[in-house]
Amino acid sequence: MKKLRSILGNSGAVLTLALAALTPFLLYGWFQTAIGAAGLHIDPTYSGGQVSHVIERASYRIVVNRPVPRRSPLQRIGPFVQVAWTPAASLPAHLSDDLDLDGDGTPDVRVAIDTHNLVVDITPLTARYRPMHSQGVTSFSALIARVNDSLVVRIPLD
Amino acid sequence: MPLTGLMTEALLLGLSSGPVCLASCTPVLVPVLAAEQKSPRGTGALLAQFLGGRLAGYLAFACLAWLLGLSLQLQPRGHALVYGLADLGLAIFLAAYALAMRTRPAAACGQPCPAARARLFAQRYRSFASVILGFVSGLTLCPPFVAAGVRAAESGGLGHSLLFFLWFFFGTSIWFAPSVGLGMLRRFAAVGVVARLTLFLLAGYYAYLALIVLGRVVLHG
Amino acid sequence: MFSRTMMQPGCAAKLAAAATLVFMVALFFQMMRTLQTYRWRRYFFVALGFLFPVGFIWQLFALRGSMSIPVERMLSGDTPFCFLAIPMMILPAAIARTVIFPGSILPTASNPHAIAAMVALWFAATLVLGKGWCSYGCFFGGIEEGFAAIPKKPRIRRIDPRWRWMPWAVLAAIVLLSAATLEPVYCMWLCPFKAVTEYPAVRSFETAVQMGIFITLFLGLVVALPLLTKKRTQCSFLCPFGAFQSIFNKTGAFDIRIDQSQCKPCLLCEKACPTLSITPEAVRAGKPLLSCMKCGACVDACVRDAAVWHIKGTDVGASSERARLMQLYSAWAFAVMFGGSIIAATLEKLFGLMV
Repeated sequence: MKKLRSILGNSGAVLTLALAALTPFLLYGWFQTAIGAAGLHIDPTYSGGQVSHVIERASYRIVVNRPVPRRSPLQRIGPFVQVAWTPAASLPAHLSDDLDLDGDGTPDVRVAIDTHNLVVDITPLTARYRPMHSQGVTSFSALIARVNDSLVVRIPLD
Repeated sequence: MPLTGLMTEALLLGLSSGPVCLASCTPVLVPVLAAEQKSPRGTGALLAQFLGGRLAGYLAFACLAWLLGLSLQLQPRGHALVYGLADLGLAIFLAAYALAMRTRPAAACGQPCPAARARLFAQRYRSFASVILGFVSGLTLCPPFVAAGVRAAESGGLGHSLLFFLWFFFGTSIWFAPSVGLGMLRRFAAVGVVARLTLFLLAGYYAYLALIVLGRVVLHG
Repeated sequence: MFSRTMMQPGCAAKLAAAATLVFMVALFFQMMRTLQTYRWRRYFFVALGFLFPVGFIWQLFALRGSMSIPVERMLSGDTPFCFLAIPMMILPAAIARTVIFPGSILPTASNPHAIAAMVALWFAATLVLGKGWCSYGCFFGGIEEGFAAIPKKPRIRRIDPRWRWMPWAVLAAIVLLSAATLEPVYCMWLCPFKAVTEYPAVRSFETAVQMGIFITLFLGLVVALPLLTKKRTQCSFLCPFGAFQSIFNKTGAFDIRIDQSQCKPCLLCEKACPTLSITPEAVRAGKPLLSCMKCGACVDACVRDAAVWHIKGTDVGASSERARLMQLYSAWAFAVMFGGSIIAATLEKLFGLMV
């Protein structure tokens, strides 16, 4: 038994040495691939949620995401729905849109954006959404920001 | 709606909402159960007390809302006020509980000195603490609780509502059963020390949350 | 990540790579020649601890002129992932497959330090080092180790041993709260190293409180207390990742043991241990506590060769030098590839100013 433990122990030590040498050439890549394939996703609070539908306009598109609800009573970031106008370069200085956020064919909010100064005004047309006036980031669930080549607005939910 | 259908619906809603309830209660529940260092049976009894307190919290709020004709889906200000007060309550009771755990048992000297009275109070508080903490946790109005409350109110009659709520509560409580396993850690004395320190840290966190939330309500409305 | 430094053209890059290689080889040579581990390892570790923040802050200023994290960066998933966040990610990832961090899962051009990359690195390092990560991998631990090395003698000698449990309490609190709040609580409220890396811009009372906590913890636990106690106080009394990594001391192939046949309890090992992992009870039990970082300080301090490196499963004291060499080769290979590449990257920036 003692000899077996000793053999196993020494084998473990040799294996550790081999793993250390193989880490940059094999292990790191394998583990990264495995984690990438694990089906994980960034929490919608940070990623903005999955895309629900796209509204086409003449020179830009409006990408509407699914609402991100509050999933825990201790969660500090409130519920919101993220909308992105892309590409930001082709947006006019001022734009106004009536948006159907839940895809039922009825406009839910009226959005007025000053795209240069990043000021947004949200007027709810249905009860689910809260009014908002934001210059830049008010909170994580109520903001307007330039993200890569999109103008991202998060509209707080009631 | 037939009674069995109502109970089944409530139970299923509770089962599906259980993970959310568990996630929001574990910061309080796990350190409390670990700190007591009781056997799995004793831990189960403590868990039952906590869940009982939680149910009392739910029902107390539901009855109050029913009596006052309030909607359970509060406006943001009311929501924030309830949250802030619940957080403050948790902070105070958690800190008191952690301190009570450090208190030595009252000396059996028969003299009614202030120190002995304080120790006796601490020991008595400790025996009820899990109920109190469960009660305050139950006041946090988690989304499944609100949804169940609304559904219960729609089921017609106070009796049906309470029955719906009870079966919803059973459904969520099933998820708490594995925490009885914390009793198996009682042989590690360090677990008790770590759990008590965790209680102090959590009390600080909830106190800060209460300060921020109630501060916002007072300053901004 | 590992070969990027060596392949980049340019004089500064080559100079930096050469300097780093010479540095690491010289330290290893000294470890072989003097049969001591701790002192030479510490030179590398302190260099890593000070050069990493220099390089990181340099990069931040080059990219955006500030150390504060803009929300836009969080929304685009470009926040670099830090290994300290790993314990908080586990429960939400296991239950809901969601990662509560504003980064990206796979590396991108704008964010090479993605979640999969850092977790893969941590996992590989843990297989090799166990809690030795805290002695060879952590790019923050060297800061307090450097400050702890400055005074000749400690001003504060007696530390209540119950504080040793604090990292476990912090770990329990942040794991439970992160699962409940769905946000990385330690990163938002308690990480002292935010003071030398990135932090949310101070725009409100809340962010001002956060910044105050970060700076206070950094100055207290990383600078002042190591100067006063000559111990790694942040690691010993706060770091939840260290507590988490202690679990993997059970899985590693190497550990440190105290040969009872040689030991006459002088407790020099207890004085030398930077993380209070050796107590009189541990000496009697023949091994340090689970918090042992495998830095080798106790082995080097022991005058009777009672504290020894050990391969699990073998007899204590038999082939301790072989155990030391095998552990050292494994740890140093990792240190050269990971820590060495960070040191080289920063030196390249510094040499680039001169060349």
